[in-house]
Amino acid sequence: MSRVRRARLAEAVAKAVMGAATLVVIGIALFLLGYLTYRGAPSVSWEFLSQAPRKAMTEGGIFPVIMGTVYLVMGTAAFALPIGIMAGVYLSEFAPRNLMTRTIRLAIANMAGVPSIVYGLFGFALFVMSLDLGVSVVAGALTLACLTLPVVITVTEESLRRIPLELRQASLALGASRMRTIQKVVLPAAAPGIVTGSILGLSRAAGETAPVLFTAVAFFAPMPSTPLDQTMALPYHLYIMATQAVRPAPHIVWGTAFVLVAGVSLINVIAAGWRSAQRRKIKW
Amino acid sequence: MSTANGIRLEGVGTVKTSRWAVLALVALLVIGAVALTGCGAADEETTETTESGAQELTGVINVEGSDTIVNMGQAWAEEFMDQNPGVMITVKGGGSGTGIASLINGTIDFADASRGIKDSEVEAAKVNGVDPVEHTVARDGIAVIVNPANPVGALSSEQIGAVYRGEITNWSEVGGQDMDIVLLSRDSSSGTYEFFKEAVVGEDAEYAKEARLLVSNQAIVDETAGNEGAIGYIGVGYITDGISVLEVDGTAASVEAVLAGDYAISRALYMYSDGEVAGAAAAYLEWITGPEGQKIVEGQGFVPLG
Repeated sequence: MSRVRRARLAEAVAKAVMGAATLVVIGIALFLLGYLTYRGAPSVSWEFLSQAPRKAMTEGGIFPVIMGTVYLVMGTAAFALPIGIMAGVYLSEFAPRNLMTRTIRLAIANMAGVPSIVYGLFGFALFVMSLDLGVSVVAGALTLACLTLPVVITVTEESLRRIPLELRQASLALGASRMRTIQKVVLPAAAPGIVTGSILGLSRAAGETAPVLFTAVAFFAPMPSTPLDQTMALPYHLYIMATQAVRPAPHIVWGTAFVLVAGVSLINVIAAGWRSAQRRKIKW
Repeated sequence: MSTANGIRLEGVGTVKTSRWAVLALVALLVIGAVALTGCGAADEETTETTESGAQELTGVINVEGSDTIVNMGQAWAEEFMDQNPGVMITVKGGGSGTGIASLINGTIDFADASRGIKDSEVEAAKVNGVDPVEHTVARDGIAVIVNPANPVGALSSEQIGAVYRGEITNWSEVGGQDMDIVLLSRDSSSGTYEFFKEAVVGEDAEYAKEARLLVSNQAIVDETAGNEGAIGYIGVGYITDGISVLEVDGTAASVEAVLAGDYAISRALYMYSDGEVAGAAAAYLEWITGPEGQKIVEGQGFVPLG
């Protein structure tokens, strides 16, 4: 009896502790979002979104800053998605099970753990200096692509793995070739997972400062007119307003933080919602 | 689930229902591809514009360096680009050393510096085939200020150094009343903090731990005006009423004294280029050192060139 009681008590305590831990996490996230919205949302106006920064970030808005981040993310997608998805398909569908493949997987896992500042310095050495791209949108996008690649590869591989073997066998049994099976059966079924995962990877890239610090961004720059121009970007804009600008207007600082977080959150929510909608449709 | 029939039917269903998914995937890839092609196509334009820059004043000017100058750099860039829409100027901070390193690496056109280039940096530049040319674009002076009620009106830079190192802690030690000295300093990210440290506190010395670090020149002015025991330092452009400016080594800080070179705690602010500049960069430099650029210097709290 007492043993049962003790077990129940232990269970209750464990439940309470874990529940509290969850609450803390949710609490921090909600507080951050709530406070950012409270401070930042009121400064978001058409002017703020459509004008360039002026007078040392005390006037104007953040239009070129937003566009800089959009360009960087588009460039990142251009480089990271094709390579990442193809590599993921290879690893899941074609790679032999040997030491080489295991080594490649290990390398990808390690890539995901490399601190972003290391990517920044790597990108500076390779893209900015050696390939002579200069500090530019392209160099920044390539660097961010290196950071995003492991996410895209892993997500592709995992999504493909989750497709039941029977589905492939059914296709092969109907006489479809391996390539055709991947094209028409496996990839479409895995697409929601790949798309969602890739979007999450890209949204992380959008919020990174360190990789673009040496490779793409400036304190102040007009809209980039070519991919070889420097640009401003939302996370770096926050950084310089906190460290270098003399006295930036608080509403611009909060507004920038809000736009960055709201933009990334919105994309993440859309990705998650779209994925769950897709999941409900597919059954096997 | 478990019958062969079921698998096949569901399998076919899957392919149909997720056509949208494929479309989305393709769309993502297309966006990527378009962005990529856009890169290639636009690249060629850049070169053309930059090369024809000399005549119609178009081109790209990248500037990087001193955090002291970065805000003024933005003000210059904004104004110059308003007047010359064909010119694109980017400005970046990071510090004088960062800017000079980028000039040596050949990634920028001008390095902003709040100090002269070091011999070691000139050596490194030579190795890379870069020839740093110095252009003085503004001057900077630091005024030492106290509360108007404080009878102390003059100190030597040696005394001020001792005060900031924490060796002198009472005003009576420098001829004032028996009152504790309240040290006010800028925060360590400020170029003014660095310059004052090098020029007065001592390059190898540290500010006293008691020093209160304030985030702006204005904050130091406000605190000094309200605290009888306070001593602080600010850019000469920030001198206002309500505070008293100390004579340092016999000269009181003022725009005129800095310009004449009489004032001890002053320095020049530079832009370095690789060789003599041409085209849009030359026009920009000329504009900066001309009346319009120097008016902005004044507005930013620095001392314009005479």
